[in-house]
Amino acid sequence: MPQAPIDDVGLVPFGKGFERGLDARSLCTRGVQMETLAGLGLPVAVGLTIPVPNVPGMVTVDRAAAAINLLESSAGRLVGARTDDGGLLLLRLSASAPVATAGLPVDLVAIGLLNGQIPSGLPEKMHADLANSWWKSASAIAEFGCQVPNDEISSLDLDIADVTQRIAALITVCNDKGTQPFPLDAAGQLAAGAQAMLSRWNSPRAARARRAQQLPADLPLGLHLETFVVTDHNDAGHGHAISRDLTTGQFAPNGGFRHGFRASGERQTIGHPLNLLPGGVSMLTGVLAELEGRLQSVALVDFDYGPEGLTLVGLEELSRTSARVATSLAVDLATRGITDERTAVAAIKPPHVLELLHPRPRLTGHEQQLVTGLAASPGAAVGRIALTSEEAVELAESGDSVILVSAETTPGDLPGMMAAAGILTVTGGSASHAAVVARGMGRPAICGAGGLVINRAAGTVSAGEHVLSRGDVISIDGDSGTAYVGEVAIERPEPSFALSTVLSWADDVRRLGVRANADTRADAATAMDNGAEGIGLCRTEHMFLGDRLPLIRRVILSHDPQSETAALSALADVQREDFRELLLACGDRPVTVRLLDAPMHEFLPEHPDDAEDEHQAKMAESLHEENPMLGVRGVRLAMLHEGLYPAQVEGLFNAWIDVNTQFGIAPELEVMVPLVSIPDELLMMLRLIRRVNQEVATRTGVVVPFKIGTMVETPRAALMADQLAQSAEFLSFGTNDLTQLTYGFSRDDVERRMLGTYLERGLLTASPFAELDPIGVAGLMQIAVERARSVRPDIKLGICGEHGGDPASIAICERLGLNYVSCSPGRVPVARLAAAHASMHPASH
Amino acid sequence: MSQEQVNDAEREVLVSIVVRGMARGEASPEHQSLAESGLLLIKGPMIMPTPAGTALVGEQLRLAADAPERERLMATFHRFLPVNRNLRDLCTAWQMRPDGSVNDHSDPSYDAEIRDRLDDIDDAVAPLLKRFAEDVPDLTGYRERLTEALDRLDAGDNAWLASPLIDSYHTVWMHLHQHLLLTIGMSRAEDEALEEQLVSGNHG
Repeated sequence: MPQAPIDDVGLVPFGKGFERGLDARSLCTRGVQMETLAGLGLPVAVGLTIPVPNVPGMVTVDRAAAAINLLESSAGRLVGARTDDGGLLLLRLSASAPVATAGLPVDLVAIGLLNGQIPSGLPEKMHADLANSWWKSASAIAEFGCQVPNDEISSLDLDIADVTQRIAALITVCNDKGTQPFPLDAAGQLAAGAQAMLSRWNSPRAARARRAQQLPADLPLGLHLETFVVTDHNDAGHGHAISRDLTTGQFAPNGGFRHGFRASGERQTIGHPLNLLPGGVSMLTGVLAELEGRLQSVALVDFDYGPEGLTLVGLEELSRTSARVATSLAVDLATRGITDERTAVAAIKPPHVLELLHPRPRLTGHEQQLVTGLAASPGAAVGRIALTSEEAVELAESGDSVILVSAETTPGDLPGMMAAAGILTVTGGSASHAAVVARGMGRPAICGAGGLVINRAAGTVSAGEHVLSRGDVISIDGDSGTAYVGEVAIERPEPSFALSTVLSWADDVRRLGVRANADTRADAATAMDNGAEGIGLCRTEHMFLGDRLPLIRRVILSHDPQSETAALSALADVQREDFRELLLACGDRPVTVRLLDAPMHEFLPEHPDDAEDEHQAKMAESLHEENPMLGVRGVRLAMLHEGLYPAQVEGLFNAWIDVNTQFGIAPELEVMVPLVSIPDELLMMLRLIRRVNQEVATRTGVVVPFKIGTMVETPRAALMADQLAQSAEFLSFGTNDLTQLTYGFSRDDVERRMLGTYLERGLLTASPFAELDPIGVAGLMQIAVERARSVRPDIKLGICGEHGGDPASIAICERLGLNYVSCSPGRVPVARLAAAHASMHPASH
Repeated sequence: MSQEQVNDAEREVLVSIVVRGMARGEASPEHQSLAESGLLLIKGPMIMPTPAGTALVGEQLRLAADAPERERLMATFHRFLPVNRNLRDLCTAWQMRPDGSVNDHSDPSYDAEIRDRLDDIDDAVAPLLKRFAEDVPDLTGYRERLTEALDRLDAGDNAWLASPLIDSYHTVWMHLHQHLLLTIGMSRAEDEALEEQLVSGNHG
């Protein structure tokens, strides 16, 4: 019977696909990868892609033979034949899909052995490696080509230790019980192998993988056939190289190589380090640099090496990497001119920034390092040493923080591991039982700290010259794998050079200003270090907690004008000191000081005994409020005690003069009145404050420059922003309170009792305290912005609630046309980046 | 504190606690009785074996040196250890991406790949579990418990691969491993050394 002509346009040798106008839909991902490599002019494996439409036909022996013939002509030798130099040419069959997917059938290696047997006379290791690979492929052929039940194959696997004998037994089983005899020629094996691939791709397991990735159930398969040479040559082998160190993000070939041919599914094991690669890594370095430029992502190549040099056999783009790698890559690509600064800024996301700056142990250089090991589970912990699980449970029960220190852990140690704040083991790697369990529980852990010696009987732990006892305090850093003697403080690290670079590029792109909320000199300094342009909110009530409380109490609870005046004077002096400290950290930048705003109950004595005298106690009782959050606070308190705000600003103005005369700095003061709901409240405060400014000027000869403004944190203030703008030179949206008042939520109560349910049931998609409500609250803000600007077009508008550090909220601020956001010092880097993104993608809501 | 003082129900409870390392929750009458015999320690919601309890279970479970099942059990155990190593590596990959960052399960492809590899492991251990159960009937329940963990994982709860707080795949596997060691009478140190030997023997 005449055979149908074999359409060999249906077979696409690596490198010929693009010129034939084919793409991923028919070539599939591996096919495209090989085209990319060939297109770089680099030596690639001898192979071909069987495009999607031609794959079903590959289960026939004719088509399989045609594919093999094509490869044999390219390779210049026959499959299965030994060559003069002792090499054996064999085939590898692999699969991929039109899009990247998990759950692909694993490669079938070593197809083409004549009679399905390994030739005799091979060196021992070569024989063993080949036997192990061929066993896997032969099993697949037997199961899917000859329909031998899986149970029978497993039994052979368990019962016959010698692989060569096992293979022979398998062939016998196929011949005796299979639907067809075991194929003894390359074409038959290839056809059965193709059948195996297709069957696996159509199995429930592969279907599940496609479903989990939301890929079509009928996603087709492409096949790829390559030759490879099995040789005993000492200088031949295989490996892989990634373009970056995945921990540091630095560009350099990272990976490993092994002697001998590539078994299936092998990339998990590392092998020898690349710096030992015969022939060196310069070629790989060049290839990887070129690929990073082309793909704009981290690249991974699989290669074979031999006396003739390197051959590239695979390519992968690693598009999801850690923050450190993503940032380094983005900066490098922009610096090389392959992309630009805006692209780099767009490539880095707020979670990357948070990851790079998350709290770590603060090292002063004076710490005593106890021991190092493998970073097995992230986080830092401080605690007392416990040497057994029981000890850990006991110590934790008495309220101590515990670090469980032991040689290794077993399930019996689980209670101790749960009770501990962190775990330190002597043996085991990052895949050890202790590591898996620690990560599962979210506990920091260091494993494999080989330098540690534990003596349970004596109750000691020693490393180097340190000898510690059970109960002594140590600290562990699960990110770096370092343990320290004693307690180490926790802090946020400095941005890396790459991150600082991206953030400075972000500064060039963004329109919104970024300030920080800071009440103390230390916070202000942190804020400036993190790139803040000024202080958007200084909460002065924080200056009155602790041992300052009696001062403010005397103001609120005094029973005669004299004691009130005395208290106010003391208050002004104390504020002068406080503000001086703060202003010193700010240089010439804007500093927005919010005058006292605390709910009454925060100042009143809780018990009559806390009051200074009986009179105060009685007063305190009479001032008790039903609803302190909505009571006499902010500007309302200042209206009742008219000396309060003047005392504060007197301290502020004097402090300004102090730092100006002593250090020559001139911070831009912005004085902010809180909780205004009636425009005249602001007007009256403004008059009082201006009068103090004049008095200070008269006394000192210095007119302290300042701006006056108000918080917009009530709905009425928002709606009357035009009237506020007549007196206010700036407005700052206090979005925490504005959110509470707009929804009518008491924040603490709602978060505790209600928020979870509302989120679960879809009534809210996020906490309105974390993400600014885009419709209600933002709607009020929009009205305020329009009305304020209609009266005073150049009025400065900012936001100073927690929302100032949230990317989604920052996008809303951009849309509203605010001038700046203010957030906590730690969030300033995120805000800088998010503001840049908001500039680049307007109207994203 | 000897075998005679422990009835069947208590024995089962004690074995379970030694194999698992602990139990949580309200103490049952069996727990109370075992605690009175000094074999268990009850601390609030946590119930742990005492060294005496662990030793007793070890004696009870250990196969005699000349038992006929021992040879095949050891052969199967030798096949089990490399798969054990793969399972732990897989759990690590599930929890931590190759770059060392925590897997937040936001990449369905990555998770699907791990789940697929888990099937390789489950396929590899299936015939071994069958053999274990044939030789040591006490080991019968593990196949079902592993499958149940897989089902719950596939139902959408990521915790069921490796969370130590529930009977996840990894947790059940750990119990199986512990049970095997008690049955064979092998120490953890010997077990780790054997696993290392078997695994490195397979790579050139």
